[in-house]
Amino acid sequence: MTKTLADCKIGDTVTLTKVLDKQLTIQLYSMGCILGEEITLERIAPFGEPMIIRVEDSFISIRKDDAEKMEINA
Amino acid sequence: MEVVEKKEKVRLVLVGNPNSGKSTLFNALTGLNQRIGNFPGVTVEKKIGNLNLSKNKKAEVIDLPGTYSLSPRSEDERVTFEYLTNNNRNDLDEIVVIVADASSLKRNLLLATQLIDLEYPTILVLNMMDIVELNKQSIDVQQLEKELGIPIVPMNARLGKGVDQLKERLANFSYQKVKKIVEKHEEKDPLDNTIERFNWIKKVIAKTVKSEGPAKTAETTKKIDSVFTHSVWGFVIFLFILFLIFQAIFSWSTYPMDWIENGFMVFGNLLAETLPQGVLNDLLVDGVLAGLGGIIIFIPQIALLFMFIAILEDTGYLSRVSYLTDTILKRFGLNGRSIIPLLGGAACAVPAIMSARTIANKKERLLTIFVTPLISCSARIPVYTLLIALIIPAEKQFLGFNLQGVVMMALYLLGFVAALVTAWVMKYWVKSEERSHFIMELPIYRMPRWKNVGMTILNKVKVFLFEAGKIIIAISIILWVLSSYGPGEKMAQVDHKFEQMFSENPHLNKEDYSDQIASEKLEESYAGHIGKFIEPAIRPLGFDWKIGIAVVTSFAAREVFVGTMATLYSVGDEENTESIRGKMAKAINSTTGEKVYTKATGYSLLIFYAFALQCMATVAIVVKETGGWKWPIIQLVYMGALAYFSSLLVFQWFS
Repeated sequence: MTKTLADCKIGDTVTLTKVLDKQLTIQLYSMGCILGEEITLERIAPFGEPMIIRVEDSFISIRKDDAEKMEINA
Repeated sequence: MEVVEKKEKVRLVLVGNPNSGKSTLFNALTGLNQRIGNFPGVTVEKKIGNLNLSKNKKAEVIDLPGTYSLSPRSEDERVTFEYLTNNNRNDLDEIVVIVADASSLKRNLLLATQLIDLEYPTILVLNMMDIVELNKQSIDVQQLEKELGIPIVPMNARLGKGVDQLKERLANFSYQKVKKIVEKHEEKDPLDNTIERFNWIKKVIAKTVKSEGPAKTAETTKKIDSVFTHSVWGFVIFLFILFLIFQAIFSWSTYPMDWIENGFMVFGNLLAETLPQGVLNDLLVDGVLAGLGGIIIFIPQIALLFMFIAILEDTGYLSRVSYLTDTILKRFGLNGRSIIPLLGGAACAVPAIMSARTIANKKERLLTIFVTPLISCSARIPVYTLLIALIIPAEKQFLGFNLQGVVMMALYLLGFVAALVTAWVMKYWVKSEERSHFIMELPIYRMPRWKNVGMTILNKVKVFLFEAGKIIIAISIILWVLSSYGPGEKMAQVDHKFEQMFSENPHLNKEDYSDQIASEKLEESYAGHIGKFIEPAIRPLGFDWKIGIAVVTSFAAREVFVGTMATLYSVGDEENTESIRGKMAKAINSTTGEKVYTKATGYSLLIFYAFALQCMATVAIVVKETGGWKWPIIQLVYMGALAYFSSLLVFQWFS
């Protein structure tokens, strides 16, 4: 089964391979988070979301249901 | 050759990512020479300023809302998108000034390449060069200029470094057609277009940016976040900061408020004595000055609240608050971004509702707009302060804290809870198929830029003073007329009655009866009649007809309550030496002979002002933001009913 960002643990660094939602893709791309980019999962808020991911030197928050739509390569 | 002595003017359009220091540059360029306008058709704030680029070249600067790309996702970004894509303005030559955070160049260059490809004359400002240095990175500016084909100015807007060079380059700007970076193909997916751009940017960055290891500032931010966004400590710190802000506002602002209060009293007495007695004297002292004093006195509190919000935003902390609260707010149909309008609502609902534009999801934005006026705004501070001081002795303590401060905090909390509950009910009522996201950049922590903070305070106080002040002064004058004149001969009859009494009993001291005369005359005035007319409806809430007048007049703006009270209780009082509070404390109900401002009435009135939508400016902004009258009318009726029935409950409970 393909892994998504939601399956990651804090501290994991992964590569983004596919985004399953068009609107989400536009938002991620405009913030520099494109396919092939390395993503580090930095923090998870209480109740499992939102999470903070690090893309290069930028920190971006994201909800769990969006993380589930981001396929990754560990 | 002929030398033309003409003063040229150009328009500078500032565009950049959020957190790129665009506003800092705007402030550095224009200083105090700026104003806030509106974009035609929409209500997003347009900041416009003016400056001289050189001896004979002037410029108008427009600060567009920050955006990551030309694919708008929120209303805010749409304004920037539409301004830039509809270029049928030909009144002035335009230069697009792209402001980029040089410390995260890759992301910032996306927008830059899109703007270059729109064929605007552009200049790139590489801001935050200090952070680049701090992170032991270096940028080959000349090489980057060659790659992009446009002029570049490195800058540290915070210290003002590079601002003069920018002005110089702008003064001598000559547009040259630049080669497009990515050709537009109609059949191609715009997302592939973005990937193509990033591939190009990556190549350019490899050639121009050198760095040694991970960025120091990002590492520091990560460390600070391990505390500030901690699952437990993060919330403890947030609540502690909120508590500090409230304590500070109410203890620090006492001194300047006392000075203003005393100043107005001295000035009022002076004016009353120097001007010839008569209608004009009464109008100026009891009408205009009383109303004016009633609003100026609250500037210290409003300025302090905006100062704290500006500092929290400028340091980057406010986005952490969004992160922490998203999961809670989501359950109530809101979004982590809603926390910014909700906090801003504690200052003024009008700019707060406008800041809801950053919420991309329509339903979440509507709910945020709907509940924001329930948050206690600065216009309620005057009302709360006056009433709390009236019903709670200053020295009373609660668990070691000043009880007045605790009740104030409780009122804010009540507003917040009401906002959440309302949003939760609406969540099920308003239907939407649109997916909701919470994709937000958490900028690195920085020291606040004091100039930005100062500018924010200045702009917000200006809006409060002029927008609210206009209404308050006008209503103060109307009120003075309504309370100085009455239908028929009734008011003259009161004078006549007392004169007769004095002539029959010459031993009576006229001074002892002046308050009674004034009060009886007020009852017979137009204002008294209006108040009496609505009294049956508000009596179950513990309000008398005087409060009735204030409730009616403060529909325009809540703080008018204080001005109304000032006018109502000083009209007819020749010795203007008592503060309103003292007069209200002494007020006696003419029918029951008991004190008007009992605990029950006080709390009931506090609740009423906490919930009722008494603000014409808010109604107007909701009409604009939601594009019609449907939501503001629902909001007005809902909040009115909530206020009425809550006050009814509170009054019956306490009495």
